Amino acid sequence: MNRVETPAGRARLDLLDPMEVARLGGLELVAEGVVEGFLAGLHRSPRRGFSVEFAEHRMYQPGDDLRYVDWKILGRNDRLYVKQYEEETNLRAIVVADVSRSMAWTGNPALRLSKLAYAQRLIAALTLVLQRQRDATGLIAFDDAVRVIVPPRARLSHWRQLLATLGALEAGQGTAAEPALRRVIDQLRRRGLVVFVSDLLFDRPLALKALRFLRHRGHQVVVLHLMDPAEVTLEGPAEARFEDPETRAAVVLRPKDWAGPYRETVQGVIAGWRLACRRHGIAYHAVRTDTPFGVVLRQVAASHPT
Amino acid sequence: MIGFLHPWLLAGLVAAGIPIVLHLLERREPPTVIFPAVRYLVAATERHQRRLKLQNWLLLVMRTLLILLLVLAAAGPTMRAGRVAGHAPSALVLIVDNSASSGAVVKGTPRLATLRSAAREVLARATPDDALWLVTADGVPRRGDPAGLATLVAELTPSPRRLDLGAALATGAEVLAPETRSGEIVLVTDLQATAVSPARVDVPVLVVRPDEAPPRNVGIAGLSLGTQPWPSEGGRAVVKLTGDSGPPVPVSVRIGERPGRQALAPTNGTVVLSLPGAPPGWWPVTADLDPDELRADDHRLGLVRSSPMARVRWDPAERYVAAAADVLERNRRITRGDEVTIGRLEPGISIVEPPADPAELGALNRALERRSVGWSYGALVTGSETADSSVGLGGTRVLKRYVLEPAGSGRTGVLVRVNRSPWVVRSGSVVLLGSRLDPAWTELPVSAGFMPFMDLLLNRIARGELAVVDAAPGDVAALPDRVTEVRRAGERWAVEGGAGFRPEQPGLYFLLAERDTVGALTVNVDPRESRLAPASDEQVRKLWRARVVGPDAAGEEVFAAAARGDLRGPLLWAGLLIGLTEMGLASAWRRES
Repeated sequence: MNRVETPAGRARLDLLDPMEVARLGGLELVAEGVVEGFLAGLHRSPRRGFSVEFAEHRMYQPGDDLRYVDWKILGRNDRLYVKQYEEETNLRAIVVADVSRSMAWTGNPALRLSKLAYAQRLIAALTLVLQRQRDATGLIAFDDAVRVIVPPRARLSHWRQLLATLGALEAGQGTAAEPALRRVIDQLRRRGLVVFVSDLLFDRPLALKALRFLRHRGHQVVVLHLMDPAEVTLEGPAEARFEDPETRAAVVLRPKDWAGPYRETVQGVIAGWRLACRRHGIAYHAVRTDTPFGVVLRQVAASHPT
Repeated sequence: MIGFLHPWLLAGLVAAGIPIVLHLLERREPPTVIFPAVRYLVAATERHQRRLKLQNWLLLVMRTLLILLLVLAAAGPTMRAGRVAGHAPSALVLIVDNSASSGAVVKGTPRLATLRSAAREVLARATPDDALWLVTADGVPRRGDPAGLATLVAELTPSPRRLDLGAALATGAEVLAPETRSGEIVLVTDLQATAVSPARVDVPVLVVRPDEAPPRNVGIAGLSLGTQPWPSEGGRAVVKLTGDSGPPVPVSVRIGERPGRQALAPTNGTVVLSLPGAPPGWWPVTADLDPDELRADDHRLGLVRSSPMARVRWDPAERYVAAAADVLERNRRITRGDEVTIGRLEPGISIVEPPADPAELGALNRALERRSVGWSYGALVTGSETADSSVGLGGTRVLKRYVLEPAGSGRTGVLVRVNRSPWVVRSGSVVLLGSRLDPAWTELPVSAGFMPFMDLLLNRIARGELAVVDAAPGDVAALPDRVTEVRRAGERWAVEGGAGFRPEQPGLYFLLAERDTVGALTVNVDPRESRLAPASDEQVRKLWRARVVGPDAAGEEVFAAAARGDLRGPLLWAGLLIGLTEMGLASAWRRES
């Protein structure tokens, strides 16, 4: 594994392979390590990130969103700088996490985290960043029903409570996202940030309707579409019976015959979600579970209302 | 119709089921893989299912077809395809009729030259993959490659033998019977009608015969020299001619080197010529015609034994023996003397009858033993029995006889048998008769064959001279029992008495028993070779279901008889095309997927 190090020589956990990072310790340790790395990439400025007010320039770092590159400086000095914004204080954020059975799956347990494990670590890091911005963070976990609701709070001890809840999450049964998203209304009385973490293996129209509703209520909505790499590229034995762990629906086919059509279908699904989200001002990120956490945090940080 | 060189390989067609079986096996109970994104798979298959099914079936069909084509190609398919440039590997028997008649000259060209040329045309069309045999007048199938057999054909000369075409075809069919390749017999012949005989042949037969009509021919069919030995005064020769009708032709017959006697003889008729006497001994007699287009039958050999008539002593009291002796004496076949005694055992040559009184049998046997005769009289056998066909006695009934028992070394010298038991035997200078020459013992004395038998017995058998045997080259001649050696002009062949002997060349052969010359074998060309008239094409087509062509068409028609194109090439090309297409489509679709 390539180690990515800071100028001081310390490894940046936010840019390491998620599986490697997960091996280092529990949720808290991983989250703090990732956030430290992430913030170091942001010039150790916890006050900058998820905001809209311009503050200053800094040197471009790998993983930075190209949308924040200051092209004028590049034109004048031939140097890459990105713009940074002042944080928006008193933000209320809530993470809606999918803990259905499909989230517990990984295509390669030896090399990759399950989608649920990945989501747990990502959410822990994300909420820590928000906590450090003194934002109130909450959590809603659901499978075929809402399982956990942790109302948003800004205290640091709240993050540890949230972390404990997060760590105790186990994969449930089916998926029913729409009721969970509706429950967000109860938790966010005024405009806030909703981060929806799911593999999106359910019917899009209903969930999208709830997401649009949240957007309509003025919330900033970010959708993190978790996908195992094995869900992107179809592989397997010469012929296999592929069975859905939630619905038990099955299909028998030869992966080598269907790899192409499957890839097209997955790309179509991603494109469909991206288009639908963009149309309604929702930030959408397709996240493979082998993507370093820091990269995802930067993408989320870069998401802002359009 | 499609045939196969290796039909047993068609069993490999079951291999064509391999792709289908693999397909079915693969379809059976595939492993279950837990996969959350099944909904994407369902969506993908809904869109592409029909196309992929079509692709899979197409690949399955192509793979099955590919195996089918390879198996079919391995089985060596051939197809009747008319005149094709090449031909499937075949088995061919080439029969070249170089019998004596092939020596005829037609318009200045020996007929055999025409046949050789046609045979070379046939061999020129053969390939190294063909199995080839050459059969000539000797009837022996010789296997070889085209070049080797062409050399043999080029070296062929007219054989003195006769070739029975039906027998030659049967030989060819026998040679081809074990062959799995398509077989064919090509018969290159002058198609003499006398050589045509039925044959059961299951393979295609191509008959190549000359276009020109045969020349007119007259030959000597036989030379009969009458009863032997000839007296010192000489004898008569009867010459029989055969061949095409026409005016009488001159015939010349001579004994030894003496000047010949000439006479005009009708074609297909006989002429009798008197020949002068000669000193005692064997004398060749030759009959000649003026040369014509076929020389082989213009000359015929015979052999005559010249010796003075036997001097015989007989008992006038023996009614039937005395009567016969009187007749022979009057006809100058014998004379009175003491050279040969008939009836009892005497010093010198004796023809011994068993005694009428059984009490004298013991004394006779003792006397025979003292003379070192290898036979003695045994028990008396009564009952009606029949003599075998030796020395012209076939069917003669025997009512009473003594069993002739061999003494010492053997059973040699048996001249006539009754019921497979010796009845007339010869040992040294003694001939023993099993029965008395009396109607109470045998019907011989009152039969028509008695006089010739007595003549033979007194003049030849008793004097140790057995036979002059006629034969044709290549035929098996039955030799008398006593013969141990055959000689001809310095050549010698050791033989077993009673066995067959196959002379190869025309000529005179002497038969020896130890050191004694006991007979002769005259070998002359079969008279049927003189008749050159060919059988009709229609007759041959009907008889052998053969195609009949002239020498110029031999090369074109050979192998077209079984006219089968080799389909292996097209099948392999088709297989290659299908294989490449399958590879291309499979890889393209795989890339696409």
